[in-house]
Amino acid sequence: MADEDKKGALNPNAKSFTFNPNASTWAPPAAAAAPPAQSQPAAIRTAQAAATDKVTDQLAAAKIASQAGEGSDDEEPIDETDPLWQVTLRIAGGDRARAKRMLENPDALMAHPEIVAVIDATAAADDAAADEDWETAASPAAAHSQEAEETAAAAAAAPAAAAEGGAGGDKADGGEEGDEGEDAEPEPAETTETAIEEDPREHLNLVFIGHVDAGKSTLSGNILYLTDFVDKRTIERYEREAKQRNRESWFLAYIMDTNEEERAKGKTVEVGRAHFHSDVKRFTILDAPGHNAYVPNMIQGAAQADVGILVISARRGEFETGFEKGGQTREHALLAKTLGVRYLIVVINKMDDHTVNWSRERFDECTSKLKPFLRSCGYAVKKDVMFVPLSGLTGANVKVRVEPAVCPWWDKLVADGENNTQQGTLLEVLDRLHMDNRDPAGPLRCPVLDRYTDRGTIALSKVEQGTLRAGTKVMIMPTKQVTRVEAVYINETRVSSAKTGENVSIKLACTEADVQKGFVVCDEARPCHASKTLLAQIALVELTEQRPIFSSGYEAIFHCHTAEEECAVIDLVSATDKKTGKVTRRPRFAKEGGVVTAKIRLARSVPVEKYDDMPQLGRFTLRTEGKTIAIGKILDFKNE
Amino acid sequence: MSSAKSAAPADDAGDRQVEMWKIKKLIKSLQKARGNGTSMISLVIPPGDQISRVGKMLADEYGTASNIKSRVNRLSVLGAITSTQQRLKLYNKVPPNGLVIYCGTIMTDEGKEKRVNIDFEPFKPINTSLYLCDNKFHTEALDELLQDDDRFGFIVMDGNGCLYGTLQGSHREVIHKFTVDLPKKHGRGGQSALRFARLRLEKRHNYVRKVAEFATQFFITDNKCNCVGLVMAGSADFKSELMTSDLFDPRLLKHVVKTVDVSYGGESGFNQAIELSGEALGNVKLVQEKRLLQKYFDEISQDTGKYCFMVDDTLKGLDLGAVETLIVWENLDINRYTLRNNTTQEEKVLHLTPEQERNESHFRDGETGAELETIDKIALVEWIANNYKNFGATLEFVTNRSQEGSQFCRGFGGIGGLLRWQVDFAQLDEAMHEEDDDEWGNDMDGF
Repeated sequence: MADEDKKGALNPNAKSFTFNPNASTWAPPAAAAAPPAQSQPAAIRTAQAAATDKVTDQLAAAKIASQAGEGSDDEEPIDETDPLWQVTLRIAGGDRARAKRMLENPDALMAHPEIVAVIDATAAADDAAADEDWETAASPAAAHSQEAEETAAAAAAAPAAAAEGGAGGDKADGGEEGDEGEDAEPEPAETTETAIEEDPREHLNLVFIGHVDAGKSTLSGNILYLTDFVDKRTIERYEREAKQRNRESWFLAYIMDTNEEERAKGKTVEVGRAHFHSDVKRFTILDAPGHNAYVPNMIQGAAQADVGILVISARRGEFETGFEKGGQTREHALLAKTLGVRYLIVVINKMDDHTVNWSRERFDECTSKLKPFLRSCGYAVKKDVMFVPLSGLTGANVKVRVEPAVCPWWDKLVADGENNTQQGTLLEVLDRLHMDNRDPAGPLRCPVLDRYTDRGTIALSKVEQGTLRAGTKVMIMPTKQVTRVEAVYINETRVSSAKTGENVSIKLACTEADVQKGFVVCDEARPCHASKTLLAQIALVELTEQRPIFSSGYEAIFHCHTAEEECAVIDLVSATDKKTGKVTRRPRFAKEGGVVTAKIRLARSVPVEKYDDMPQLGRFTLRTEGKTIAIGKILDFKNE
Repeated sequence: MSSAKSAAPADDAGDRQVEMWKIKKLIKSLQKARGNGTSMISLVIPPGDQISRVGKMLADEYGTASNIKSRVNRLSVLGAITSTQQRLKLYNKVPPNGLVIYCGTIMTDEGKEKRVNIDFEPFKPINTSLYLCDNKFHTEALDELLQDDDRFGFIVMDGNGCLYGTLQGSHREVIHKFTVDLPKKHGRGGQSALRFARLRLEKRHNYVRKVAEFATQFFITDNKCNCVGLVMAGSADFKSELMTSDLFDPRLLKHVVKTVDVSYGGESGFNQAIELSGEALGNVKLVQEKRLLQKYFDEISQDTGKYCFMVDDTLKGLDLGAVETLIVWENLDINRYTLRNNTTQEEKVLHLTPEQERNESHFRDGETGAELETIDKIALVEWIANNYKNFGATLEFVTNRSQEGSQFCRGFGGIGGLLRWQVDFAQLDEAMHEEDDDEWGNDMDGF
């Protein structure tokens, strides 16, 4: 069975997905099914895709509303009163079979103006009906009236509530949540430049971490492929390209690895980004490099993430090398925690490998070795860590559960909730996650990841706190420069505001030189702090052989959110011994495993916050000579 | 500078180190000295020269100098030449490493005149012939002695910028540093992927070209490489791209001794590159220094108890004869005071930092408050250099230029030692700790 799966994935033409509203509500193969969309500019396509979702959602709503139990697409009864169905039927000229087929293909359906009109009408009607309903009260109404846009911004605190609803209900079925997608108004091509209201679906940043060659890029690529965010033609091209290089299994990784040298060597260097969404959530994939020389790049990616996906190779020998001292499995898991990852999904990859063969023993071996380590990194293994065995290459357990014939034990494990989740596949697990530490009402903080010029200065960033609105004045720390947000883009779509947790591109009214990696775009009235001298609590994880002791004068690289700076320890204030728990004041030095409170001086000032005030900007890592030596939190700083 | 293969050469190397340190100190004091008029004579005789020839030259100079009009100047110049001749008479032939003589009258800090006559044989052959009569001593020739012959060049290149540095002995220098803004992987909206990839390649190519051109500029003098070896460091593939590119000067390519992977650019990458290329660099002083300090830190981290640090512990260790290797920061700013209480005739020795010197209480008797007379004041480093042999220790000087060195100087007071056996200093220095607390406590007020 596994072989069959593999064949299917290697040859995408052989496999196509049927839309099954019961499993979880995924968008039908929009991009692949709508050839005309491919030739259009990206912006239009995005708008269309949004519209497509809406259709999909409505379809799902319609179907589920009239559907009681299990059933396949073909047999489902149709709600004859549904206006969408009526219109479709009219277009189809009364042919029910044809109308049904049309419904399966929402992209083409959107080409008919009547359909658009009907959808708008139903959306408005839904709004009116849902006046009492808190879930829909906030934004959809605003989205449909031009003048209400400002008020929507004022009510932006509401998405938090909406987000809560998005994942709050354990049985967040597509039908129930379908109306959330309606918010993305179908924009005609000419008006794509006007900002649209933000998609209220909760946004999660996923970072794929793990040892080199564990299959991070392949898994990310396959997720995009399975959720139909990569079209078939591209995949075929990649497959040819991979074949040319005699590396056929790399074609999925080529979706994420776009650079020439990355493809040539099969090693990710820079963090790759991509977006996809389900009916209840939107996701940004950050594909981190696993090679130890590129850990600084990985840190940048992880600094933006909410959820870490730790990819472990189950193949004999590969798990072991990744996990031993100096392996990136350890380092990445630890870094991810200190960089603020809320949940960790441990993915045991390559289960289809012939040395593993979906064996339960291997899965248990990996998880039982990982659990104590993850606990020591500070993860609440019982609550925040989930384990999923899968194959990134064949796609088993990514979107569709692995065949019970191949892996008989997995269903039972899922039913028992042994991996802290009741869901069997990675995407289902992701749909159920909910971020509870977001504060859209707090002062704005957006650490800048990178910037470039594209008809203005564009800063790539994640909104860590507060809500970013186009047209507002912001301050850039640590330079204290005040500038204006000219536009905000989410996933290349212009929006009027972005709530906490969004991955955004910010167009700023300053020059490119004024913004740098590690700067923070923040509230003008309540700016972020910037400091050179910090008082911090530091846990010494692993010191280098060359310098096995930590004392004042120790030099290292300081990583905090996206900032990277050279630093030196000026003074040790106190130290706690790991074994004895004894606290020494004014120690001369500290050793591996110890916890010290120390004063640190940075080479240049860096925007930071106290850990207690804002953990995202108050956590840091110290690295030297390519190794992570310590993690810490900022207790206090000297204002400058 | 052969490596420490057996005990004897190691001792030689150690002695030479002390020797070098002494010369360094001497040069410093000579450079500071300023005289009255042009009456300060610097004389350097290379090995193989004849004393008699130099003697004749001095006699001729004496004749010339007697024609100087100004009486004061004439007298002082003649005086200086006479004392130089006297010094020269102490040698019947030029020593194997040559001879260096400095004579003249210098003005001391208090404004008094002081006669300075120095003659010594340098610790390695000096290949310069020099006779100068000036208002200052000329020490350039000696500077050369202190420099290690092996100079290594470093190119640290990553996606954010490039750094050019050199390492010579314990001297680490950044020649040039520039940053670059290369387009990242993030796709740009609306821009064709192919066009973006092409732009990206072009920018990268230009960057490699720039790095190669600078490398030629910095490391090629007189049509050849001015370094013994070049180390290429960097993250990603830039360094190998540079090496294989025909933009990179083939004259330099021959000298590349090592390529290393570092995870950061800039200073930190430079440090890591030195660390990683240690073997290729051989016996460069900085690398030796790092190894020594690593051994010292190892002792501490393994809790063997066979180590000591800070002035008081180290001196106690020396008194016990327990110190095997004494490690001292060459610029350690601590003075050794010998004080005498004139009423009781008691003598005591104090080691004070410049800050502590300002505290009068150190110079008063604790009980009576009577002022103590300073009999002797000498820099601790100098005292150690003169006396370390009495304690059966070997002496190693370190700098604060390496990361380890900086940590040693800041964290461990710049003085410490590896011990032959375990010594428990803890019970002896409780008093010191209390004093420490007061002093450090104020630091935190800034927060």
